[in-house]
Amino acid sequence: MAMAVGGSKGGPSHDINVTPLIDVLLVLIIIFMVIQPLHPSGLKALVPQPNHQKSQPQHNDPTIVVQVLDNGVLKINQTPVTWDTLGPQLANIYKTRAQKVLFVKGDDDIPFALIAHAIDVAKGVDPSIMVGILTPKMQAGK
Amino acid sequence: MAWHRPSVPVTSDINVTPLVDVMLVLLIIFMVITPLMQHGVNVQLAQAVNTVMLPGADKDDAVIVAVSHDGHLYLGNDMVTADQITEGVEKAIAQKLDKTVYVKVDKQAQFAAVAGVVDDIRDAGVDNIALETQKIDKMDLPPSAYGMQ
Repeated sequence: MAMAVGGSKGGPSHDINVTPLIDVLLVLIIIFMVIQPLHPSGLKALVPQPNHQKSQPQHNDPTIVVQVLDNGVLKINQTPVTWDTLGPQLANIYKTRAQKVLFVKGDDDIPFALIAHAIDVAKGVDPSIMVGILTPKMQAGK
Repeated sequence: MAWHRPSVPVTSDINVTPLVDVMLVLLIIFMVITPLMQHGVNVQLAQAVNTVMLPGADKDDAVIVAVSHDGHLYLGNDMVTADQITEGVEKAIAQKLDKTVYVKVDKQAQFAAVAGVVDDIRDAGVDNIALETQKIDKMDLPPSAYGMQ
């Protein structure tokens, strides 16, 4: 490829200026390379299997169930709380507990984002809290 | 060679054509690979702050169940019905050591649909699920955005 760039004669250059093209390509490559390492992240949850004739070891701590109800009510067991006080309340409850298990359940038409948010708050209180999703079927003991 | 012909001056420019070639090929490779890297169907994930990394969800044989915003269910990339989930998951985890099932739920999906899927997965003998969420640094959308107090 002859690279006659003006030269001594001072004539016009025949070559296309590829520098902007390379600039654009480099930026595109960098964008695609950055998008790649978006690794999935998430919240781990338990779905305990039903006990088959196996009696659970009795412990005194009652199970904690966070309920997200469709009229905008949030409850820890039977105590109504708000989204702002959910974290501190849970922190208070789990401060003294050895078995950090929490169940989350919601009304049927609650968007999943709120369930995820409730789990998120619990994990924020203590990442070692094991969160289970309580479904109506599970609650019936099946 | 150039120095035998004094009329043609020595070029001082770098020949960028091979560079452009390589760049174009790299670009095409990345463009093709990026959509393929994603496992399962694409749903709008809920946002969460206190997430953990789920390296297992990136594996080729990861069992991924997705729930779309209108309640449709997907096992991997295939749309399935609720009663196919249990069987499909059972088959998928039979040979695996890590029996975690990755659940991708659209943030607008109703809890009833999620509960149904969780029940179906549980029936397959799975103890651990991982709810995939989008990692954010700070919760910017208050729960009131969903009509909650």
